[in-house]
Order: sequence, then structure tokens, then C-alpha cells
Amino acid sequence: MELIRQQKLVVQLCTDHALLEEFLAAPAQVTTREGLTVGAESLAKLNPGQLRQFARLLRMRRLGEAGTALPLTRRALGHRFAELFTAYALQNPPPGKRLGQDAIAFVNYLLQSNPTKPLNPVWLMSLASYEAARVEVEWLGQRKLLVRKFPHALRRLLTAFEADGVPKGDFSGWTLAVWCSSSSGRQPRHWLW
Amino acid sequence: MGQKTEISNLLANLPRLGAGLTYHEPFLADLLQKQPEVDFLEVHGDRYLDAPPARMDELAMLAEHFTVIPHFTGLSLGSAEGLDAVYLENVAHLIKQLKSPWWSEHIGYTRANGILLGQPAPLPFTKEGIEVMTRNIVTARRAIAAPLILENVFGPLVWPGSEMDPARFIGEVLGFGGVGLLLDVADLFTYAPGLGIDPIKLLDRLPLDRVVQVHFSSSHDSQADSSESRVQPVAEGVWQLLNAVVTRAPVRCLCLELNDNPPPLGDALKEVERARTVGRQYKRWN
Repeated sequence: MELIRQQKLVVQLCTDHALLEEFLAAPAQVTTREGLTVGAESLAKLNPGQLRQFARLLRMRRLGEAGTALPLTRRALGHRFAELFTAYALQNPPPGKRLGQDAIAFVNYLLQSNPTKPLNPVWLMSLASYEAARVEVEWLGQRKLLVRKFPHALRRLLTAFEADGVPKGDFSGWTLAVWCSSSSGRQPRHWLW
Repeated sequence: MGQKTEISNLLANLPRLGAGLTYHEPFLADLLQKQPEVDFLEVHGDRYLDAPPARMDELAMLAEHFTVIPHFTGLSLGSAEGLDAVYLENVAHLIKQLKSPWWSEHIGYTRANGILLGQPAPLPFTKEGIEVMTRNIVTARRAIAAPLILENVFGPLVWPGSEMDPARFIGEVLGFGGVGLLLDVADLFTYAPGLGIDPIKLLDRLPLDRVVQVHFSSSHDSQADSSESRVQPVAEGVWQLLNAVVTRAPVRCLCLELNDNPPPLGDALKEVERARTVGRQYKRWN
């Protein structure tokens, strides 16, 4: 079944930017390495513009879903949310089947890629980590109990987000956030201190 | 009774729903207030597989107030590696819970080698593509009793080495699979020119007697460009195609397809009302 190999390669091309560029520069090299035989010549004729367009469409879809999962982070970052997510998505294929996994992976990427260059506002990573934790509990339902500590006053920050725009100030302080799912499986209970 | 007659009877007995739209969580409160303006809701079925109880409660509540049609992308009926048995089981369970009149997927694939795209990729218009689709459709239909309808995927990728034109490919997939058509007129409007075919000419070659549902939206390219802003209104070219379909096909419903970051519900409902009027004009429903 040559189509299995062809589909695998198309998916890789559209989710791995470096591989796509390598393929566009030397298609035969990539198809040979990926073990394509009968369909290699055909696949090598894929239109570069269409491949790039589809890869972009996939990133836009992922960006939209991440924005839904991290609404306040998106609001706080403005247009930079799309820039940062695109940089992440160019290097990382979708991490799983479930809605929210990509958003969590994106926040982890931000935490790992910006340790010496904190994002502004100063509380941004606390907010992003808080929203990722909420997705982990409320969307993925993977944990019965989750406790996280954040180096900013999140309760005040979340209240400030109820007004339009992005809150001003450094929101210094500490927050302990707890989510607890009951055995009845209803909406998890949540506390901020 | 021949297979074609059986399918025609099955599709002819499906309810005439009217005009509706894709559900998004921010719509919830307003939707309940504006229930008379929405004939049905389409939900992204994949979001409710293995979902936390709160989201399932919300879905159950929606199903109490509206006819809910689940639309899937993750089953990936076009995957040559076959279906994910656990995913199929979850899809079947959800459809049974919802008691929907039908469910939908795509003539395309979203999964290969463990990566889930979230957006369907088209298949090559080849005999092997038809065989893969047919095999997977048969497996899915064995697991799910509700009628299946499949959505066209014409772009943006076009596979080289096609063995037939896209209309024949779709006709054979639907024919061998024994399923209906979910015709996405925005996909047709956006990508038919890339296949070298005028959208109306391609429309006329499709098996229109199989059309159950129509998706309409702003063109797919404009959605891709506007993910950080509100989606654009439905283009007049898409409305013209929608009109052409409604005049030619026994459509059961028209669905405004909204991806993430949807417009305010009020704006969306104006487009839903326009679609409902088109259906009434051609006596597809009252």
C-alpha cells in the first residue's frame, strides 16, 4: 500500500517545517529516505505553493484552538500570540488527539524557550501557566487533584481582566491554585488563595 | 431492492431540518434565548470524545433543546492505515447518546503515522483512494447505525497522478460506501478553480441526489488569513453556489460552518436566516 507511505509523508511535510523545506529543495532525496517507491515520482510533483498553503492552514487551525484554550493569554499577548504560536508550531507537530493538548504544549514551549527573556507583561507566564493548568483539569480531565503555585496575584489579575483591555500593573504576590474533581464527575471545584 | 434504491429511500426519509450553525461554547446563553432562530446545531463531535463531564452535561442540555448533528474530522475515513478502533468506538458511543438523525465525516484523511492534523487533507483521485474510503466506510457503518454523510475536500492540496476527475471520485466513494453527501460550497468555491474546473460545472457533475446537508461559510482561504480577527461574511459567490445547490438537490439542511473565533451570534444568525429563506423559496422546508 503505497498510499500509506504517501499519506505519512504528506502529514510530515505539512507539520514539520524543516522537512518541508528540505523536500522542496530536493524531493527525490526525501521520498527515497522515506521509503517511497511507486508513488515517489508522483509525490515529488506536489505543488510547493499548495503544500505551503496547507501547512499554513493547519497552523491557523491549531492557532485558533490554542486561542480558545488560552483566551486571556491571547488577549494579553495581542498579535504576539500568533507570532509565538507560529514559531512553536513550525517546530512541533500537533502533540495528541485531544483538544487542549496543543495549548498545553505551547505554554510548555514558552516556559522552556524564554527563561532568560521573560515575556511582557511580567505576569504573562503565570497567566499562561494558570490557563494551561485549567485546560489540563477542566478539558482533559486527566487529574483528580491539581495544586499549582504562581508568583503573581492571580485573583486580582483575573478580576482586572473582566474590564476591557489588558490589565496594567505588575500584580506582585503569590497565588496557590487548587482544582479538585469530585467522584461524581461534575465540574471540578477550584480555589485561588 | 438494489443498493442505490435502498440508499435513496434512506436519504429520502431523513428529516428536513432547515437552517442552523456550528455550535461554539460562547454562544450557549444567547442560543437558549434565540432558540426559534436556530433549526439545528452542528457540533464538532471530536471535542466530545473522552470529554470531561461538564462538557458532556452541556452537550446533553443542547440536545434537549435542539437537534444536534455531530460532525467529525478525527475518524479519518481516508486513512490508508485503517481506522483507529478506539476512536471509532468513542464516535459510535457519542452518536448513540445524541440520537442524531445522521452524522458526518470527510472524504479525506486527518491521521497518519500517529499525527492528527485536525484539518482534512484531500485524497488522490485514484482507485486506491476509493478502495481505502470504501473499506473504512464499511467498517464505520458496521459500528454505527445512524446514516453517514461525507463532506467533499477539494483542496488546497491537489495530488498529482489523478486517475479520474473529482466528481467521479466522489460519486464512486458515495456509491460504493452507500452514504450521503455533505456538500461544502465554500470548499467548492475556493478550490474548484485550482482543479481547473468552474465551480458550477463541477457542481453539476456531482451526485446531487445524495446531498443531505450543505456547509456554507466565508471562503476557506479567507478563514485561514483571518484567524486573529473575526471571520469574513459569507462571500456572494458562495451564496450563489448555495442557491444553485438548493435548486438542484433535495437538501435537508443548510449549516453555517464556523471555525474557531466565530463572529457574534447575532451576525451569524443573520446569515442563517438568509439561508433559511433560500430553502423556503425552493420549498425544501416550511
